[in-house]
Amino acid sequence: MLLFRSEQHVDRWCTQWNRPRGGTLTLNQGWRLAKEWYEDRLSPDWRPKTVAEAEAAFARIGLVGEFWKLSG
Amino acid sequence: MKPLSDANSSDTLDTNLRQFIYRHFIREGRAPAVAEMAAALSSPVRKVRAALERLAQTHAFVLQVTGELWRAAPFSAVPTAFPVRSGKRAWYGNCIWDALGIPAMLHQNAQIDASCGCCNYEMVLRVGEGRLLGPKGIVHIAVPARHWYDDIVFT
Repeated sequence: MLLFRSEQHVDRWCTQWNRPRGGTLTLNQGWRLAKEWYEDRLSPDWRPKTVAEAEAAFARIGLVGEFWKLSG
Repeated sequence: MKPLSDANSSDTLDTNLRQFIYRHFIREGRAPAVAEMAAALSSPVRKVRAALERLAQTHAFVLQVTGELWRAAPFSAVPTAFPVRSGKRAWYGNCIWDALGIPAMLHQNAQIDASCGCCNYEMVLRVGEGRLLGPKGIVHIAVPARHWYDDIVFT
């Protein structure tokens, strides 16, 4: 998962490495995703998110669609 | 099936080991060696290695072929292109998500000395008072979510 200056730089990277374009997030969505994933990581009671919990976390920040599905 | 007492013992060791690894990363800025884990927890190395294997099943922990830690997400045990500083302390994130995850986990202000994945243009991000500050940018994930753990290093 990499950071880019712009959509054009994402496209250049995909062309350079012969990779199909994947999913993109704004930096603000990236920050919200980081908080969803890691805010409770130091809790002794932490456990990995279930598939349903992870998909719900994605949906809360607008990451929906086939690319973001973990199930199926 | 394991006797219940063994299961409870394993759960306790796993929790204590996980907590020790994170505290060590936070304090020292580097991963503890397996020998350091064993000494700190007063546990035989073979039990620590077994606990690490169990922790690795969560995908949050990844081991090197030597059995030493490679990553304890969001921290990387090896240098990456995602250095994170908070006060006088510094770490490496595994990717931009994890680099942002370090201040999110620590609930601290931080600076991420990132750069564009395409052209290496400097993109310094700052987290302050729970908010992300810095240049505009795009995060790209090359691999669909359901395949993230097929090859976590590439992801």
